Amino acid sequence: MSANQRPALPVLTHRGLPGRAERVDHARAAALFNADEARTDWHDGALWFAREKRDLAAAAVAEWEALRELASAIKEHTLSHLDEYLLAFEERALANGVRVHWAADAEEHNRIVYGILERAGSSRLVKSKSMLTEECNLNPYLEARGIEVIDTDLGERIIQLRREPPSHIVAPAIHLTKEDVGATFHEHLGTEAGLADPVALAAAARAHLRDRFLAADAALTGVNFAVAQTGALVVCTNEGNADLGAALAPVHIASMGIEKLIPRFDDLAVFLRLLARSATGQPVTVYTSHFQRPEEGQELHVVLVDNGRSRQLGRAAFWRSLKCIRCGACLNTCPVYRRSGGHSYGSTLPGPIGSVLTPGIDLERYAALPFASTLCGSCTAVCPVKIDLDAQLLHWRQLVTEAGHAGRVKALIVNATQLVLGRPWLFRLAGGVGRRVLRLLPRRISRLAAGPWGEARDLPRPPAQSFREWYRQNRPGASRSRRAP
Amino acid sequence: MTARESILQAVRAARPAATPLPDVRAAAGGFPPAAGDVVARFREVARATGVTVLEGARREAADLVARAYPDASRIVSVSTHLAGTVPVESASRELADIDLFVCEAVLGVAENGAVWLPASRLGRRAAAFLAPDVVVLLDRAAVVADLHQAYERLDLAAESFGVFVAGPSKTADIEQSLVIGAHGPKSLTLILFGAVGS
Repeated sequence: MSANQRPALPVLTHRGLPGRAERVDHARAAALFNADEARTDWHDGALWFAREKRDLAAAAVAEWEALRELASAIKEHTLSHLDEYLLAFEERALANGVRVHWAADAEEHNRIVYGILERAGSSRLVKSKSMLTEECNLNPYLEARGIEVIDTDLGERIIQLRREPPSHIVAPAIHLTKEDVGATFHEHLGTEAGLADPVALAAAARAHLRDRFLAADAALTGVNFAVAQTGALVVCTNEGNADLGAALAPVHIASMGIEKLIPRFDDLAVFLRLLARSATGQPVTVYTSHFQRPEEGQELHVVLVDNGRSRQLGRAAFWRSLKCIRCGACLNTCPVYRRSGGHSYGSTLPGPIGSVLTPGIDLERYAALPFASTLCGSCTAVCPVKIDLDAQLLHWRQLVTEAGHAGRVKALIVNATQLVLGRPWLFRLAGGVGRRVLRLLPRRISRLAAGPWGEARDLPRPPAQSFREWYRQNRPGASRSRRAP
Repeated sequence: MTARESILQAVRAARPAATPLPDVRAAAGGFPPAAGDVVARFREVARATGVTVLEGARREAADLVARAYPDASRIVSVSTHLAGTVPVESASRELADIDLFVCEAVLGVAENGAVWLPASRLGRRAAAFLAPDVVVLLDRAAVVADLHQAYERLDLAAESFGVFVAGPSKTADIEQSLVIGAHGPKSLTLILFGAVGS
């Protein structure tokens, strides 16, 4: 089947988020994704390519591990003094002529942004990438109030036209082929049918968005780092869209989670050396913009958003997840993410970091996410700020099970395992019965014993004897000789 | 209670045990120096990001630019070594169809090929992002090894804005295919001037 004949991927409704009461079923969504095997392989390969580029970039920096240690320590220090750094940042920013707003939750953030636009008489907003505004569902809020919202990052624009949520925090349209993009642009931008050349498609998007940049009367950007010492807001992009928007519009709004603070100007070096190398393998993004104060005739606003972050900060097992700098390396390396796609997580942030941050928002609704992992630890190994992602995933599993959200089958397995492993005689008995019975049963039936794993795998033929029996036969007296050397 | 107070209160209540702030300057001072000439490394990395690197003297800038961009007629220049044809302070609409933007960088960074352009070197900063082609002049003596050295030298206090630029704008959002020239400039040319070897 050629790429353009592939069926569209299943996409969850309303920018990807299921209804309030609906629980995310990652396994079911992943099974749907996997129904198209060729496309799953392609997705897997695309993400792994990013992981390989990251490895090359990291290996080229001799002090890579020292940088990770520094980044982790700076973030942990900042988070453990966050109230002080928030106040220091606010003071500097105000002195710089930046208007500072505080939002306890998503609703308040959206209200503040709309209030700024309303007061300035702005109705045409260009946005550069901001996962926070995805988290807050800003676009529908503003659109319902008559604001035209244009996402200008190419990947974000593609998915905005398709009315889909991003599937990756760095590459929002990574789930789409160039043929998909061609079809979308044909429908919305009037490009030639069947056009699938990335250069031509990007050129069409550039022309389409150039007019929007020039017509915009407000720009909204995310924030990668906010410097408490100087009040600077740092934004990293490759396309130049954040800068075009912010330089042209009379109003610039920067939305940031309160965890984006770092103490000193010099600390930027540590994080910028890690960020792009971890994300895409580039030594640095094309543009690293430092917004210090408004230009003459311009308003510069920053919105500091909590929306659950202070709650996460108070969780002893999980506060370190707030160190995240949103590079996406844990997504690229995750064997589950690569083969289930970002939409299967049903959360704003997918992949390992999403599965660690999101259950804290609604444990029942996102109960499946900590289980969307093999616990292989690859995420932890690549994380530039050394978040212990696999340990946190395991810890969430325990909390999910304790709260009774694990589901009947999972709970049954956990309880049965506890029963058998806690009783050596029962373990020996179960092993003996299993070895005999599985050898007698036809393969088609025996592999059911492996549960969902058996769907794509055969069980190995059970051995004639257990290891314990073999050891007794072949190492008589072994335990005695160890005791008396 | 205002959102500000409630957030600060919640953060204070949630604060994990205090950990120390590491001394980044001391740590960076102990990193092994990269081998070879810093300008040569800068040139190599910049080229890898899609930059055209030209060598010359500062006074030759106008000739070099004319040769590199012979068709450019609407030029905004913030460099004293090259006369522009469109005033730096033009309105955005005027800047939207310029052919070329020329400016001078404060420093370059060898490890990532980036140049530092603060607001005072950019004029109206929109021009640097609207122009299809950009030329940046850089003194070879102003190339530093890495971002640690760069941030030690930078002073943003007097500026409204500053940006590290590493190459022409680009995107890989369509099937990870690298496309040069996303929303910003489609080409970036660096002119290295000053004494060779330092």
